[in-house]
Amino acid sequence: MTRIACLVVPGADEQTQRILLETALAHSPSVEDGGPGIVYLDLRGLEALFGGEKEIARRILDTIAERGLTGRVGVAGSRAGSRFAARSGDGITIIPPGRDAHRLGPAPLALLDLDPRMAARFGRWGIRTLGELADLPSRGLAERLGDEGPWLQRLARGEDPTPLHLWMPPPVFEESAQCPWGVETLDPLVDLAAGLVGILCARLSRHGFSADAFEWSCRLADRTTHDGACAPPAPLSDPDAAAALLRSSLEAHPPRAAVADITLRARPVRVAVAQPRFDEPPRPSPRQLTAALARLGALVDARGVGSPVILDTHRPDANQMTPFTLGREASPSPSPLSPSPLSPSPCPLPQWGRGIQIPSRLSLNPSPLRGEGRVRGGPTVRGGPTVSGLMARSPILAMHRMRPPRPVEVTLAAGIPAHLRAAGLAGRIVAGAGPWRISGDWWTDASFARDEWDVELADGTLCRLARDGRGWRLEAIYD
Amino acid sequence: MATSIESLPPPGWDGEGLDGLLAAFLPGRLSEIVGPRSSGGGSLLLALLSRATACGGLVALVDASDSLDPVTATRAGLDLRALLWVRCGGRPASAWSAVDLLARCPGFRAIALDLGAAGHTAPPSLGTRLQRAAEGGGAAVIVRTPRHLLGGAAALVVSVRRMRTRWIGADQPKRLGGLVSEARVLRSRADPRLATPERAWLIEWRA
Repeated sequence: MTRIACLVVPGADEQTQRILLETALAHSPSVEDGGPGIVYLDLRGLEALFGGEKEIARRILDTIAERGLTGRVGVAGSRAGSRFAARSGDGITIIPPGRDAHRLGPAPLALLDLDPRMAARFGRWGIRTLGELADLPSRGLAERLGDEGPWLQRLARGEDPTPLHLWMPPPVFEESAQCPWGVETLDPLVDLAAGLVGILCARLSRHGFSADAFEWSCRLADRTTHDGACAPPAPLSDPDAAAALLRSSLEAHPPRAAVADITLRARPVRVAVAQPRFDEPPRPSPRQLTAALARLGALVDARGVGSPVILDTHRPDANQMTPFTLGREASPSPSPLSPSPLSPSPCPLPQWGRGIQIPSRLSLNPSPLRGEGRVRGGPTVRGGPTVSGLMARSPILAMHRMRPPRPVEVTLAAGIPAHLRAAGLAGRIVAGAGPWRISGDWWTDASFARDEWDVELADGTLCRLARDGRGWRLEAIYD
Repeated sequence: MATSIESLPPPGWDGEGLDGLLAAFLPGRLSEIVGPRSSGGGSLLLALLSRATACGGLVALVDASDSLDPVTATRAGLDLRALLWVRCGGRPASAWSAVDLLARCPGFRAIALDLGAAGHTAPPSLGTRLQRAAEGGGAAVIVRTPRHLLGGAAALVVSVRRMRTRWIGADQPKRLGGLVSEARVLRSRADPRLATPERAWLIEWRA
């Protein structure tokens, strides 16, 4: 005979609900999460362990009382009966076996959590309590409501054939290894971590999870700890790729002393496997990309591998690196800052400025370095169209930043840069525009203010110069 | 006979313009853009990467001299979220190794190596190695270099040179307007007609 206990704690939040579920699981292997503040337990077979129903209910209330919680427990032959008992009584309320229908009779119909449409229909029929529903003729109920009618009637009579929807605590993916002799070099530590991550990945795969982050914590021989974390570009459960990632992370952040024990944790995520679309561009597999990024991180500084993000400031060259992930879908369209509108094609191409094909040995009209009018008129192609007509939408001139900006010596003539000398770059300035004054962040300690010039050297090199209180610097070269 | 709308190229496509040049950089091939600084070679590389991300692909840029300007790249239409930027801190050897490594990771639409002013030599036989990696990985591998380094391994070699600078201002320059450069295909194994001396592309890059 089914005996269900319902633990009710009003006003329970998510954390409290977790406590209730864990408390219930400590008393019964069959526990259902009934919603905020409600937990159901199957009491069958627990008498030999904890005693009678009243003793079990008392133990549960005592356990949650130790956590500062106050609740009520109802025991009956069904969920509805136990919940009604828990809500109607004070402390512990037990409905004896076979008495559910009798005790549920005066209970309101709302105890069944009916949907509004069904509740309104019963309201029109004048059915207000479970007893009134239980007394209706089953055949007529089935004719009017279909299968749902007799089903609700059985619930109203205290008959609940549906088993509990078992709640299981989320698995913890953590593995540890002790090294009493102390691991002093990196290679055996990496091998140890690779073994642990292999176990973790096997457990993840068994549960249908992947890991989107790995964390390690090492207890060192000098009684300190060494913690770290790494994240693959896409969730994975492949042990080889995870081991490669861990290796590069440990190589980048090696422990300071011998390792006495190591604990490795994986953050599980459920990854939905989707069939790639036919027109979708190919993507690197997470396994290969993780391995490639791990090797890149070892090859160059790991902080120099990622995707750039432009910071929200007017400061020149303000950007930062973020980890490169496959989760962020590449936008099928250029950035809103893109100067060109998009085509509505499935594979939209930005509308580049049109270059024009010119025949060999063509003679371009000599165009002065200065003078917008002549240049806009453009070089004409003998026997061909003019540049101005075809270059209505020009592509963008790239800029190569100097990081850090290179100090330069600039000679002025009448206040205008006339000559430039820097390491690997020197020459007479034949044209230039400026100064353009920029400043900002004056409300912080890192304010900036400077004048910028775009200059062209005699050999054709186009540079951006900047001058502030520290002198002249080469900021960038156009290319 | 009526022409199907679907058979028409998308707006902006011009087989005779810059897009025709960009289309010459084929996937699974090693290409080289050769030209001195301020010749427009970097802009051509940026346009290539932008075109790849505009189609929803992922691209990688191995930056030997840490010189990419993300603001300019965004203006050029490059989706930064689809860009893997590898900053090599002025170490050309690391940059060559990085592009060799990435070329063996399938799934990228384009993988570019910008040597900037840092690279004047290539490791021996790396060109052939890169070409084979590109064939296996399926990405268009592009090397931007001041001078021709890859020998016969590059399936496409595009030479870029500066034609003139465009300044905005009536009497005297007030602002840099852009750069006009000329691109020529020196070698194209896929379409040798592109490499004829009669063909060149005149491109205006806007500052």
